[in-house]
Amino acid sequence: MNANSVSSRIQLALLLLFLQSGILGQTPNERVQSITSALQDREFGKALQSVQSALQGSPNNPQLWMLQGLAYSGTGDSKSALGSYQHALKISPDYLPALEGAAQIEYEAGSKDAIPLLEHVLKIRPNDVTSHAMIAVLAEKNGDCATAVSHFSKSGPILDSQPEALQGYGVCLLELKQTDEAIQVFQQLMTSQPNDTRCRRALAAIQLAAGRPQDALTTLQPLLASDPDVSTMRLAAAVYEANKDTPNAVKILRDAIVKDPRQTALYADFAELAMDHQSFQTGVEMIDAGLKLQPGAAQLYVARGVLYVQLADYDKAGADFEKAEELDPKEGMSAAAQSMLAEEQNQSDPQRALATVRAKLAKQPQEAFLWYLQAAILSQNSAEPGSTEFQQGLDSAKRAVTLQPSLIAAHNVLAKYYFAAGQNELAVKECRIVLEKDPSDQSALYHLVIALRKTDSQGEIPDLLKRLAKARQEATRLEGERNRYKLVVSSSEPTK
Amino acid sequence: MTISRRSFVLLSLCASAQQLVGQDQGIASRNIAAQPKPAPSGRPFNARFTDVAKEAGLHAPIIYGGVDSKKYILEANGCGCAFIDYDNDGWMDIFLLSGTRLEGDPPEATNRLYKNNRDGTFTDVTEKAGLKAVGWANGVCVGDYNNDGFDDIFCTYFGQNRLYRNNGNGTFTEMTREAGLLDSGPARWGAGCAFVDYNRDGHLDLFVSNYIRFSFEHAPVPGEKSTCNWKGVPVNCGPRGLPTGRHSLYRNNGDGTFTEVTKQAGIDAATESYGMTVVAADFDEDGWPDIFVACDSTPSLLFMNNHDGTFREEGVTRGVALSDDGMEQAGMGVGIGDYNLDGHLDLFKTHFVSDTSGLYRNDGKANFDEVTRAAKTGVETRFTSWGAGMVDLDNDGYPDVFFVTGSVYPEVEKTLPQYPYKTPRVLFRNLGNGTFEELESQAGEGIMAAHSSRGCAFGDFDNDGDLDILIVNMNEPPSLLRNDLQGKQNWLKIKLEGVKSNRSAIGARVIAHYGNKVQAQALVSQSSYYSCNDPRLHFGLGASTEAAVDIYWPSGLHERIQQISANQLVTIRESTGIVPNRGWKR
Repeated sequence: MNANSVSSRIQLALLLLFLQSGILGQTPNERVQSITSALQDREFGKALQSVQSALQGSPNNPQLWMLQGLAYSGTGDSKSALGSYQHALKISPDYLPALEGAAQIEYEAGSKDAIPLLEHVLKIRPNDVTSHAMIAVLAEKNGDCATAVSHFSKSGPILDSQPEALQGYGVCLLELKQTDEAIQVFQQLMTSQPNDTRCRRALAAIQLAAGRPQDALTTLQPLLASDPDVSTMRLAAAVYEANKDTPNAVKILRDAIVKDPRQTALYADFAELAMDHQSFQTGVEMIDAGLKLQPGAAQLYVARGVLYVQLADYDKAGADFEKAEELDPKEGMSAAAQSMLAEEQNQSDPQRALATVRAKLAKQPQEAFLWYLQAAILSQNSAEPGSTEFQQGLDSAKRAVTLQPSLIAAHNVLAKYYFAAGQNELAVKECRIVLEKDPSDQSALYHLVIALRKTDSQGEIPDLLKRLAKARQEATRLEGERNRYKLVVSSSEPTK
Repeated sequence: MTISRRSFVLLSLCASAQQLVGQDQGIASRNIAAQPKPAPSGRPFNARFTDVAKEAGLHAPIIYGGVDSKKYILEANGCGCAFIDYDNDGWMDIFLLSGTRLEGDPPEATNRLYKNNRDGTFTDVTEKAGLKAVGWANGVCVGDYNNDGFDDIFCTYFGQNRLYRNNGNGTFTEMTREAGLLDSGPARWGAGCAFVDYNRDGHLDLFVSNYIRFSFEHAPVPGEKSTCNWKGVPVNCGPRGLPTGRHSLYRNNGDGTFTEVTKQAGIDAATESYGMTVVAADFDEDGWPDIFVACDSTPSLLFMNNHDGTFREEGVTRGVALSDDGMEQAGMGVGIGDYNLDGHLDLFKTHFVSDTSGLYRNDGKANFDEVTRAAKTGVETRFTSWGAGMVDLDNDGYPDVFFVTGSVYPEVEKTLPQYPYKTPRVLFRNLGNGTFEELESQAGEGIMAAHSSRGCAFGDFDNDGDLDILIVNMNEPPSLLRNDLQGKQNWLKIKLEGVKSNRSAIGARVIAHYGNKVQAQALVSQSSYYSCNDPRLHFGLGASTEAAVDIYWPSGLHERIQQISANQLVTIRESTGIVPNRGWKR
């Protein structure tokens, strides 16, 4: 929402309202006319003098306080302006021009305090699209997408001229998994700004996330037809892969690497592609090439270490994880990887793996993934609920989800602990958290079915069973797709 | 929650927490690590198993597909076997199924019936009995479908299944056509089967699971698709990537014929499964038989009996369809028994290499909890596992778990020697506290010997009061593991004879009370892997010298027999009680 345009619109509205209202009946006409004339002529100092003089005679007149607010606003003294509006509202809480004036100032400051004022406006004038739009923008900035979407949807055509607000609307719809609606919003944006590359990429990304890779490719085509930037090429690689066109995914990723060989994310993308296609050695070779150019890229060492693990080359994997930690000690991923490696190497000796995880945790107690790992390793021992080991595992899982609520693996393992302890309600809650993030998570769906079986709320089970069946089929299908190609490294390496 | 090598993808891809299953192959396996083995209990195990097949005269190899490589999955899954007293002489005879070869039928390729000579040896009476048959046989179930007092045989095939009526004179007559069991349309792949009196009319009905809709014409070959590779080695394809089979239920009309009632009974609703071994028993103890089907790489099925001729499939909800983390597994064989002595029928299901076999505890209402790790059977993931039993091998009163193993990919070990084709048998002794201990050399060379085995059946072929094991080995003669049990543990065998119920009493549930223990067993016509056990229910009694038994007959009748002395076979006739044994000699 463009603050200036809204501001001028509101000020104009205030003046018009003021001039048309009957409030002048309580104030000497000449004095008020002099104030409004001064405001219209942008003689804010003069207006201020007049209004302050009038207030001495009528200190409980909300209209005069509101006019003072307008005058202060004109001088750029927002604080005093806000104080004036607030004073007017103390006298007359439903006084619309003061509400709008105060809301405008709070909105421009990006303050949440604008929201109750705007809501108050909406109580008086429920169809005020500007107030809806302003609440929506603020809510979106505050991460409250549910509120944002609710108000955006009532903002009407005012959004057409507000591309940033429209983009926020689209992002929130995506956040709420209303992907079809999000796509519509971004398509609207694209219509108004066909040459906006970022907007086009965003639309393609949403289409990809919505499982419409063919639409995403169509959206990207104009960009790909010219000289795409590396960000577009990265996205295009993902789109090609989703379209089962692995050769083109590989090609464009290679082209991107040639174009910007120092961008480490591209090598990581390639490694991911290699991982998906079980082409681990190919992934290693590409990362090798990246490391020649970016020997300090910790992320690449982690990625290569992961590939080495797939090849069961644990020594090399361990060396890479250690190197990553050395290069970026604060980067928790390498510590987590080292811990997982310990687990992998010591499958028959979980205590040893646990010792590694605990050593890492001592250094990085805020690393959620390590707490998750500890919980997962402990859960493999099927300790009896009530035992020390069980409690440690449960506590670790709780800690992991507290530190990183988005770590759904940890929610899954926590659900399993609750399930084992017979705390079905809590298990159900954790499963639902997982499913909110990933509606097709098979473990969560299954645990939810089993947990609900043991409760009185079994009505949901048939639908969950259908979802589980669909998730299984989809997982099988995707795995089949991934294995259609094996990647190989060609002789051409980036040389820049 | 298990961490595996592929869990690293969580790190690299910042992926969702969805468990990453090893679906990069034709058969589902979770690729998980075994749980650590606990310290040995140090307790003696008195059973020793010796393979006496050769001395017993079981010389003929069981032909099944290629020896060094297998082009199609049809060659890989093998077949079952049965202990059957076909001549009612009180001694268990042996029936072994057989496959053939793609390039043509070798002379040895036939199912075989071996008559028990009552001296530890057997005589091949296949031809005399009229049972010579060549083809791709898979499963066998045994039961007296015409209630004439002689057990009949049903065999599943890729192609046409076969019903053999026991004529009571040492011969059988194939009655498939007369019984109305001929298939029409393309060849089906009959897999598991079970005689089950689902409508409690006293006549054994027939359930047949089907594996794949397979045709040589359309089947892909090794390496052709993603489901035709295993760890980078081209192998036979499937079951993933191939169309699923359709299961069938046939109602016995009581006149020697059957009518297919698959649709009416609601069985046809389960369309997305690769069905294998079938076990029919009353899992929810409501007096009506339910049907469990172990399924390969798809959720296993549990058909609950609605008491009105129909079933509802509830495997997932009841906890026996998927792993405890909701993943598909390669369900092959099934053991049924009461491992925790709570009077309810539990299940043990075998799976593919790099996965645990699953132990499922029944609460008596057919709600199952997977207790694999809690029971410590999760210590073993090295082998692809097949025929299984939950049987008391040392007569200590606690059912043990035994299963046979063997890879489906003979060509792999040339490239990956860590995955041999022939692998040993697995024995978990029940420690009596809800957990098991894996035994290897302690149980004799018969356990340690490596074969690529499939079906196995449990029975007392030498009538010496302990359970022996008959095993199908691929392209080798079978194994007959004689149990040479030491010590003074007691036992009891129960032979049931239905009157209002079907004559074989298949579907009966028996609860033995001995000492302060209770143990449930079910009389089923198929379990293990496509196989049929000795129909005489065998209870180890430990130190107890007598037992009482509750019999829940398939007709709905409940009878209790008190104070039965140990170390004997008793035959119990429905509504009559104990009657003289037929031909039982020790």
